[in-house]
Amino acid sequence: MTAISLPRALPAGRTLGAAILAIVAVFALLGPVFVPGDPFAQSLMKSLAGPEPAAPFGYDHLGRSLWHRLAHALRLSPLIALAAVATAGAAGLVLGTLAALRGGWTERALVVLADALLALPGLLLVLIVLAIMPGTATGFWAGLSLVLWVEFFRLTRATARATLASPAAQAGRLLGFGWPYIFRTHLWPEIAPLMLTAAAFGTATAIMGIAALGFVSVGMRAPTPELGLMMVELLPYWREAPMALLTPVLATFALLLGLTLLAGGHRT
Amino acid sequence: MTILVSRLVQALVVALLVGAATFAMMRSLPGDAAWRIAAGRYGYDNVNAAAAEAVRAELGLDGPWLGAFLQWMGDLFRLDFGVSLVSGQPVIAEIGHQLGASLWLALAAVGLSLVIGPPLGILAGLRPGSLFDRTLLVVSTALKAVPQFLMALILILVLSVQLGWLPAAGYGQPRHFILPAFALALGLAAVNARIARDAMAGVVAMPFYDFAQWKGLSRAQVLWRHGLRNVSVPLLTYLGLQFVLLVEGVVVIESIVGWPGIGHALVHAVFARDVPMVQGTALMLGLGFVMVNALIDLLAARIDPRGAR
Amino acid sequence: MTLLSATDITVRDGAARLVAPVSLELHPGEPLVILGETGSGKSLLAQAIMGTLPASLRATGTVRIGGCTLLAEDRAAFRGLWGRQIAVLPQEPWLSLDPLMRAGPQVAEAHRLVAGLPAAAARNRAAEELAALGLDTAAARYPHELSGGMAQRVAIAAARAGGASLVIADEPTKGLDAARRDDVAALLLAALTRSGGLLVITHDLALARRIGGRLMVLRDGAVVETGATSAVLSAPQAAYTRDLIAADPESWSRRVAPSEAGQAVLEARNLTLSRGGQRLVDGLTLELRAGRILGITGPSGCGKSSLGDALLGLLTPERGHITRARGLAPTAFQKLWQDPVAAFPRTRRLGQTLRDVARLHAAPPERIGGLLERLRLDSALLSRRPAAVSGGELQRLALLRAMLANPRFIFADEPTSRLDPITQREVIGLLADLARTDGLAIALVSHDPVLIDRVCDETCSLPMKRGEHDTLECSDLLRTAIG
Repeated sequence: MTAISLPRALPAGRTLGAAILAIVAVFALLGPVFVPGDPFAQSLMKSLAGPEPAAPFGYDHLGRSLWHRLAHALRLSPLIALAAVATAGAAGLVLGTLAALRGGWTERALVVLADALLALPGLLLVLIVLAIMPGTATGFWAGLSLVLWVEFFRLTRATARATLASPAAQAGRLLGFGWPYIFRTHLWPEIAPLMLTAAAFGTATAIMGIAALGFVSVGMRAPTPELGLMMVELLPYWREAPMALLTPVLATFALLLGLTLLAGGHRT
Repeated sequence: MTILVSRLVQALVVALLVGAATFAMMRSLPGDAAWRIAAGRYGYDNVNAAAAEAVRAELGLDGPWLGAFLQWMGDLFRLDFGVSLVSGQPVIAEIGHQLGASLWLALAAVGLSLVIGPPLGILAGLRPGSLFDRTLLVVSTALKAVPQFLMALILILVLSVQLGWLPAAGYGQPRHFILPAFALALGLAAVNARIARDAMAGVVAMPFYDFAQWKGLSRAQVLWRHGLRNVSVPLLTYLGLQFVLLVEGVVVIESIVGWPGIGHALVHAVFARDVPMVQGTALMLGLGFVMVNALIDLLAARIDPRGAR
Repeated sequence: MTLLSATDITVRDGAARLVAPVSLELHPGEPLVILGETGSGKSLLAQAIMGTLPASLRATGTVRIGGCTLLAEDRAAFRGLWGRQIAVLPQEPWLSLDPLMRAGPQVAEAHRLVAGLPAAAARNRAAEELAALGLDTAAARYPHELSGGMAQRVAIAAARAGGASLVIADEPTKGLDAARRDDVAALLLAALTRSGGLLVITHDLALARRIGGRLMVLRDGAVVETGATSAVLSAPQAAYTRDLIAADPESWSRRVAPSEAGQAVLEARNLTLSRGGQRLVDGLTLELRAGRILGITGPSGCGKSSLGDALLGLLTPERGHITRARGLAPTAFQKLWQDPVAAFPRTRRLGQTLRDVARLHAAPPERIGGLLERLRLDSALLSRRPAAVSGGELQRLALLRAMLANPRFIFADEPTSRLDPITQREVIGLLADLARTDGLAIALVSHDPVLIDRVCDETCSLPMKRGEHDTLECSDLLRTAIG
């Protein structure tokens, strides 16, 4: 048989991605520890001022330290994104395995639901959920979870179906092994790497979504430091303070690039 | 036939989901919603308690929810979307106005992405592992990591603010298309190129691709007669799925550059809690996805008669 | 006059030499068969001669075809020969046709683009040739609507449409059953009669016998023996050739059935099976007894595997009854698969998998060691993953794993069809021993009727499905048609 070779990832791309993410995480978590400060404290005197020891990245139009706002923003959306991915991943894994195992109407109903969700733009669903849920952060979490579980479900179901029909899983059943063993030795090793890729993509999608909605002023609200919101706030001051705008732009790019590299493949 | 039936089921469930979501949105409107809606409709000066009460009754904001829900879904399936809470115009008419502008933008973006992405991807897929292949991988990975709104921001800063070549916003002339269409197309092209590349690399590795050359056909003849046809099916199927990505991009980009399309209207409607407009646009986008994919299914079935997909 | 002569062909993968200097000549009207097992380098040798080696390998030597002399390392130079001088037949004809193009155009395009006929003439020519091959209706069909045999004939027509006189066929009978194999041999010989050259690369002794001509036996990239095919096969000189011939089921001695029939393990009455809406087995009755081997034959797609699934309780029969003997554990019914790699968890070490099974069935760990010895397996294999073990060893490990479950019945689904003859003989021998010593009931599926005849006590042959009758027996018609 001819092997179809599809080198998907950059050589060492995943390592590079993980390294970028580690740097971003260290800054977000430890930045404010090394240089203490308040992301909300305004000082109009320092509007758009350049870097100084207390604010290594300078100040925004309201004189708030960009160092601290950025660190805060880099905690907020990744945290929401990770929570949503964890919820969606767990739901997708459970429902996908259930669909593959049970078949019949359980499977059909879940597939129809997932297909219908697939037809609706994710940002739109998030917007509607945001309008329903009381808090913005919880709204994002719920909305993104609702959007993201579909991908995990589809991956799990497809892999589980193929694996359960394979001679290896059939042998396991003939030999008398129970479902827990078959899940652990046959299914999970096949699903886990796919889940990692999907989780990295899902996190990136979620962060992009939060930033995009912030950028068009329907997501997080001021004065919360959020990546998209920071960009739209600083956009009018591009000529005076280009670095102030570039700070959240570069941070967002680094975060998303790290996640894309970590995913090491592309969505199918 | 089964293709169309399953797409029809998908369309029905989409409508059901949109109905349920917008119903929930309606019921969770804050207490002064009726007042605000009435204000939006009649102007702040003309609102009184009676007008607000009338709106409340009209929308069924109180009362048992099951009956209200059935009524809501009934209206939806009769394609009666009601009137915009903000403008007071029928939702259908509003959407009719905006759809054209969005369609042109979307078509321009997809066309542009298809001109850029697949040719590069096919070229890379013909020689997997070559320098060109690896370069394309680096570029497409970097492009994929740039969200569409960020791409628009960068293009605005570079092309209109710094260089002054293009207007940052506006609508009506051909040159207004360039910036938003590129902002959308580059991200789509990055992924298109990867799909085309993987599909081509897969086809090149197939025994039939070798055999076609052993028959005596030249490289170009084999690519033209056997390569492109086989690459087109996965690419088409992917384009159908990409529609959602495109719509999301259109929603965001339209809001950024002030494009008078359906996405811009949607964001406004959500912001103003104009639930009938949200429902109408969401349904339109969802059904648009189903329709595009049904067409692609039919097309793919024509090219690839093996079915069972 | 020689049609083709290859001198001192070597193939290297970096420093490793995969094919030692080999020279060969091809004369008009006299086929040459290169015989060898997997890994003997026979396909690499052929690819070096055709200029189709993978880019990672390096070839040296010279090839003379027609009037021109080519250097084996200069692959680009061979391109011009394809279709015009050499017709290369693919290994798997089904996968070698473009799935999205009808069969007719796939033949016609070579007539038009390679031989230079006008479009209409090319179409007519293709239609004539396909009709001559008994494929009147195939021209308008897509490859997935063709049977394996039909695809093979379309591929032959397409390969020769460019006007090539020299046919090179690499493993043309891979995965085919006996009837199809004879068909292919007839087709290849028919191609030979007028135009001259035929080079066949195979592991299949029966095909070699049918092709005749001259034979070259290859092992580890070096020639072991050459001579007239009939002479070499009837009186082999080299020890390796003798082993190879002895491993052929034709030369096996028939198994002596146990004198007394054991007790019934499994009984099937009036069994009717369907899968995907298609009726596969209709009203079958069979009985499996301890110590006996039941052979199951039939063309591919006739429901052999589905029958196995039903006997093992994995598929519910549409009608009829399957009765297992009283007092047997559900795990007393085991199976061997055609592809042993797919039958093990991919990421787990083999030893771990076997220990899991032993623990589940409360077998002491020494049991694994004892069985390893019995099945002549090295315990070092246990630290490897399935993909890192040879097919023959892995199939024996699969047998070991099944034995840990204390089976009374084993359904062996083409367990050796992917193994080389010498390994096949060993695995089948072990299976037969187990039936005798441990009183196992075994159902052995094979597409090779000779193997079934030598090993099995009874035979159950499943009929072909309706609408699949495409094997042409009239080889005389073919001979005149193609030549």
